Amino acid sequence: MKIAISSLENKEFSKVSDRFARCEYFIIYDHDSLSFTAVINTAKDAGSGAGGKAVKILGDLNVDIVLAPELGPKALEALKAFEIRSYQYPREKTVKEVLYLFYEKKLPELLISTSKGRH
Amino acid sequence: MKIAILSGKGGTGKTTLSVNLFSYLEQATLIDTDVEEPNSHLFLKGNLVKEEIVYKKYPLVDDDLCNYCGKCGDFCNFNAIIPAKKKILVFQDLCHDCGGCAMVCPNEAISYIDKEVGVIYHTQIKENKLFLYGNLTVGEVSGVKIIETLKESTKNAELLLIDSPPGTSCSTVAAIDGADYCIICAEPTPFGLSDMRMVVELLRAEKRNFGVVVNKSNLGNDDIYHYLEEEKIELLEKIKFDREFARIMADGELLINYSKYFKEKMANIARKVLGDKDDQ
Repeated sequence: MKIAISSLENKEFSKVSDRFARCEYFIIYDHDSLSFTAVINTAKDAGSGAGGKAVKILGDLNVDIVLAPELGPKALEALKAFEIRSYQYPREKTVKEVLYLFYEKKLPELLISTSKGRH
Repeated sequence: MKIAILSGKGGTGKTTLSVNLFSYLEQATLIDTDVEEPNSHLFLKGNLVKEEIVYKKYPLVDDDLCNYCGKCGDFCNFNAIIPAKKKILVFQDLCHDCGGCAMVCPNEAISYIDKEVGVIYHTQIKENKLFLYGNLTVGEVSGVKIIETLKESTKNAELLLIDSPPGTSCSTVAAIDGADYCIICAEPTPFGLSDMRMVVELLRAEKRNFGVVVNKSNLGNDDIYHYLEEEKIELLEKIKFDREFARIMADGELLINYSKYFKEKMANIARKVLGDKDDQ
């Protein structure tokens, strides 16, 4: 199982991002190998449709779960199509902290979009 | 000849200038390309002669033909088509109707469907004066298709005035496309100057001829005039702000019918932009 977290920097102790699809990095935690990998988010500078593009990047990396601050309607639709589940983290935490919260089942699942799609 | 009137900042007087200049001229066609919030029609009373629906195409993927190769998604610059594992997602509002996804599809799985994005109203003002304005459907992202249709419908006009949208994005670029001359309608405020600089940059990148009309010239400061001098940009005319002008405009009336001063300003701008032969 792979879990992706929107992050400001490329380490597991970096702060989480306030934005899902326009974050700097995705930190991918591999539950099986217990390892962290940082992926530069190339969707960040998309003129439009960053949400869909970001999900496509994560889908191609076979991510199963996404931890995000909020999700726009297109990102949510794309996550459904890739069969990726998403959970909402609180702001100002680190990547590792929100991952612990996820394992403690303290993060609510994101089932409806929490932000209006931005351009 | 095609003349675009634009500003960068909103509220500087593009529409005021457009409708008055249009009404001043003996023979002309005017299009209001600010399709997100058209206003010119409020000042021009004419007969509606035609309503034209504008459509945009967006892709439809045939799941039986698609093998999920992902080429369409790689091609799309706007992320309007996202190939997932067992499904292709299409975000209609992001699609720019370029036709690229169907071209790169090796399985001919992509066709296109029409989607209504707005309406163009054709109105006859006087016998030889046509005025068209577009209205973008609420919720649609881009008015470019409507602007292109407005331009196409009036491509044979001898003298075309283009009331352009504010800003310097896709809509404005579409509005000034093919313009022989552009009039920047600016106001001498820090905000007005800052936005005008972006317009100047755009017009230089697009290699357009242009000049500036400073509206509300008795407000703000002198920075705009120093800027025009430094950049060697032609100052076509200065038009003062007057509460009486605001009152007349608020009544939906044309200033040239009430103010000799304003009419002379229009005459001067027409002479400078069109040359003496077209002087009315």
